[in-house]
Amino acid sequence: MKTKTWLLLFSLLCLLLAGMSVWLLLGGEQAGYAEVYSDGELVVTLDLSKDTEYRFERGEAWNLLSVRDGKISVISASCPSQDCVHHAASDHGAPIVCLPNRLVIKFARSSAFDAMVG
Amino acid sequence: MKKILSVLLLLCLFLTACSKDGPAETEIFAMDTYMRIRIWGDNDLLHDAVDEIRRLERLFSVTDEDSEVYALNQTGNAELSADTAEILEQAITLSERTAGAFDPTVYPLVSAWGFTTGEAHVLTREELDVLLPLVGTEHLRLEGAAAALTDGAQVDLGGIAKGYTAQKCLELLSEKGVQTAMLSLGGNVQTLGTKPDGTAWIIGIANPEAPSEAIATLTFTGSMAIVTSGGYQRYFDLDGTRYHHILNPETGIPAETGLSSVTILTQDGATADALSTALYVMGMERGIEFWRESNDFEAVFITQSGTIYATEGAAPLLGGCEFEEITR
Repeated sequence: MKTKTWLLLFSLLCLLLAGMSVWLLLGGEQAGYAEVYSDGELVVTLDLSKDTEYRFERGEAWNLLSVRDGKISVISASCPSQDCVHHAASDHGAPIVCLPNRLVIKFARSSAFDAMVG
Repeated sequence: MKKILSVLLLLCLFLTACSKDGPAETEIFAMDTYMRIRIWGDNDLLHDAVDEIRRLERLFSVTDEDSEVYALNQTGNAELSADTAEILEQAITLSERTAGAFDPTVYPLVSAWGFTTGEAHVLTREELDVLLPLVGTEHLRLEGAAAALTDGAQVDLGGIAKGYTAQKCLELLSEKGVQTAMLSLGGNVQTLGTKPDGTAWIIGIANPEAPSEAIATLTFTGSMAIVTSGGYQRYFDLDGTRYHHILNPETGIPAETGLSSVTILTQDGATADALSTALYVMGMERGIEFWRESNDFEAVFITQSGTIYATEGAAPLLGGCEFEEITR
């Protein structure tokens, strides 16, 4: 084979491997899931492509989660502050947190940021 | 030609060697918030970081009956440990510097509004008249390790404790040899050093209208404390009116200055924390004036109409949005 052909083949291989590296670094294909944690323990993983409701209970405390149109939100909760209910429906980015009930909803889809302020 | 092929082969090997070499990470609930700690290096030091946060929480909590702040509020006098004395001193200094826009003695108001208890209550004029005289750092005396409150005043370090804790935690990790770490303490973010792969930190600023989404990003390398204050972070609705948690210590009611959020960038966590509250209370005009008189922080303002303003030191770091630059 000619040198130019070898060069072309190696270049293509490099591009392929570079693409795979980036894919691996970004966490691969993970979109579409939300993980619900109670005090650090994984309670349930919800598929965001399927509309559903999930009631989380921890003693007397509860949160009603709703998956609609690919996003998850807390539609009602027993907590006094209702901060989690005020949180907009989401499918990525900052976790949804209910402090009084120790509930955290995290997203499998990689965030483009190291962290969020606000 | 062999040399070229060798270089290409090495490049391939380098690229395939790239893998997830991420940080050790843990998450905890502390200081009435959700915290994430990331350390690049010795994983065992995560425990040290958590222990430090728990230690400071036990000192600063307003509700823990064993805390030094609780004792001070209940009895009006307390002998303080070095950290509590230091944070109180810093709080007084920042309160004086901001002419009371940040005030650590605002607790009687915060408590009466129900932001600490979750029992929402809109204060009447009569209630404000009773409580406002209790607010002001003139009621707080600090002499060495001895603190005293007069006239029934009470302190709440909620506006500075997370920033102080992030600062102390990173100082501790740095002393133990950590070169890179990031703390996200309830939305306060503080970085230590630069990531091992040399890539920049990318921090999203929450969209006040949809806080799970970023409205802009800050991209930088090295150590930085970034804190955002916004009325959207905690509020309650009553009879069609929204009441948020950032109270103007002068009026006793939620600060309404046309801002949705203020983000402060600086080197010290406690300063970032207190100034984000202070500039939110001040509003854009006074906030910009205050920034021009200072040289230790930068700011990003988001107005209620959605316009973003960045001070000239923050502007080069800001991306993902249109904004107007504020010059000195």
